[in-house]
Amino acid sequence: MELLDLSFFTSAIRMITPILLAALGGALCARVGIFNVGLEGLILAGAFSAIVGNYFSGNVLVAVLVGALGSVLVSLLFGMAAIRFKANPIVAGIAINFLVLGLTTFGLRAIFNVKGAFYDKNMEGLPKLDIPVIEGIPVVGNLLSGHSPLVYIAFLAAIVLYIFFYRTVTGFRVLAVGKNEAAARSLGLKVTLLQYGAIVVCGILCGLAGAQLSLGQVTMFTEGMTAGRGFIALVAMMLGQSHPIGIVGSSLLFGLMDALSIRLQGFSMPTQFTAMLPYIITIIAMFFLKDRGADSQLSGQQSSR
Amino acid sequence: MKLQRKLQQLLKSLIQPLTAVLIGLLTGAVAISLVGASVLETYKVMWDGAFGNFYFVTATLARATPIILIGLGLAIAFRAGVFNMGAEGQMVLGAVSAALAALYVPGSGIIKILAALLAGFLAGGLWSLLAGWMETRFKVQLLISTLLLNYVAVLFAGYLVSRPFQDKSGSAALAQTHMIDQVAWLPKLFQGMSVHMGFVIAMVLAITLYIILRFTSAGYEVRMLGYNPFFAEYGGINKIKVLLFSMFFSGGIAGLAGTVEVLGSQYRYVEGSLTVPGYAWTGLMAALLANSNPLGTAVAAILLAALQTGAMGMERNTEVPLEIASVIQGVLILFVTAKITMNWWKVKKKAGDIHGAA
Repeated sequence: MELLDLSFFTSAIRMITPILLAALGGALCARVGIFNVGLEGLILAGAFSAIVGNYFSGNVLVAVLVGALGSVLVSLLFGMAAIRFKANPIVAGIAINFLVLGLTTFGLRAIFNVKGAFYDKNMEGLPKLDIPVIEGIPVVGNLLSGHSPLVYIAFLAAIVLYIFFYRTVTGFRVLAVGKNEAAARSLGLKVTLLQYGAIVVCGILCGLAGAQLSLGQVTMFTEGMTAGRGFIALVAMMLGQSHPIGIVGSSLLFGLMDALSIRLQGFSMPTQFTAMLPYIITIIAMFFLKDRGADSQLSGQQSSR
Repeated sequence: MKLQRKLQQLLKSLIQPLTAVLIGLLTGAVAISLVGASVLETYKVMWDGAFGNFYFVTATLARATPIILIGLGLAIAFRAGVFNMGAEGQMVLGAVSAALAALYVPGSGIIKILAALLAGFLAGGLWSLLAGWMETRFKVQLLISTLLLNYVAVLFAGYLVSRPFQDKSGSAALAQTHMIDQVAWLPKLFQGMSVHMGFVIAMVLAITLYIILRFTSAGYEVRMLGYNPFFAEYGGINKIKVLLFSMFFSGGIAGLAGTVEVLGSQYRYVEGSLTVPGYAWTGLMAALLANSNPLGTAVAAILLAALQTGAMGMERNTEVPLEIASVIQGVLILFVTAKITMNWWKVKKKAGDIHGAA
């Protein structure tokens, strides 16, 4: 077996997608001054709702929409706690993670009457999208074509978010809220509204990430199937300095590392060290990047408590 | 008069957690009735599973042991105003170091135990100190670095027990160390019950910490730093020193949590045995529920452990799934942090208490 062949890169691209989507959602929250630790729970909620939608409607599009909706509802709960009731966002996020893990496992039992995992062979997964022209190009075609639509949406979302942040007035206001909430408020910006907006969009993005997880490769839901991806997304967001293009870069890095550690298992090498790399790289990067990006407001106080 | 005011204050500080508990139980009740079970009966089974007889009480206390220790460690950090999110990594490194010390340090049982406790404390403490040092020296956000260091620690411990120190004697090659010699086991408190000496250690530590934080000048410095770092600095407190000390003890006690689990109930380090039950996150919740009061943290930890063991009992005896405990916990903590009742109180009394709860 070769270490780096084409299937390695295609699998890396698939692994990137949920991380990228969730990290973009997290970045949006970070840009309005809310550090969203609940990404893990939001993705899980999306994955579960997508399966529920798929099972009852039999339509993939509906399934994805239901997935996004489920995640948005949880996200709004988080937003209510953090914005309206001024709960510490970090604590609220951790609570959301617990809550969703419990709710989805509970729902698995209550709705499908199974424990552990739910699989139904009649359920249809996300279609593979073949891009007409690119498909024909030898190597690039195999790499870029034939993914689920959500893969393309993820990269598209990064570009849209970039344009939104740096080319639109609303985006500029969002950035202002993240830089200094009090100043933004004093200028008459509708800070709370912008924050809720970010929370909702974050929910949608995480819902899509979840749908990609549960409907992308195999059409099934397993308890806690996010397996830490939400936290990886959080790390990708921090490494990318909440900048859309930076996040694409860091997500690519993490996706490659993820694919690499799976590939290395075949070579009987300790995979723990390759799995460690993304975190170590992020820590090292933080030495250099510490004063930039939206998170600086968070670090300003000694603690967020 | 003074007593009355104190009582009032106590009541006021209890309203928030009690409301949260009530809402948590109500949510649980909704979920239980959704699967078509009787709410009261299910809660009764749950109560029995946690406190029904002596055996279950000890099982609850055994589960609470690491949670109390984690909570205490975090309480120190929170009191000093640092958000240590790295309890998981600190606990795991403490556990694996303790297991290795108990295995390879020569000597009698008591020496092995002491070596393991020391190794566990130091491993957790130094790991935590690393994050503290990065914060004070390079301004790397502690909140984030501790979160990241968790993964590194858990993966490294996983490497240690799946490669160099793996127990290959069994037929199934699990990622675990060899079994610790029986002389180095922490004694059980009661014959045949799962609660062990670690629980006593945890309770003694809770009381000690309460006294230190409340009545000593070191404790005052820690609290002062948490309440208002600028004032603390103005008052001549060496901010960096206090922060580093707090982080060291915070991580060290988290390391002890792992150590007593290894010496008292697992007798070896098994990969995932500490991370899968979510001790670290539950400990974090306990500290938050109690607003970082050491004694309160211990009580909250026992309650949360009871919720979990109760849910296990419930799953054995009814159709209701175990995860209801997770749901109740999540709702509970969400409402504890939300400042709902505080707002309500303020409107009524027109008196602001800004520092208040977490």
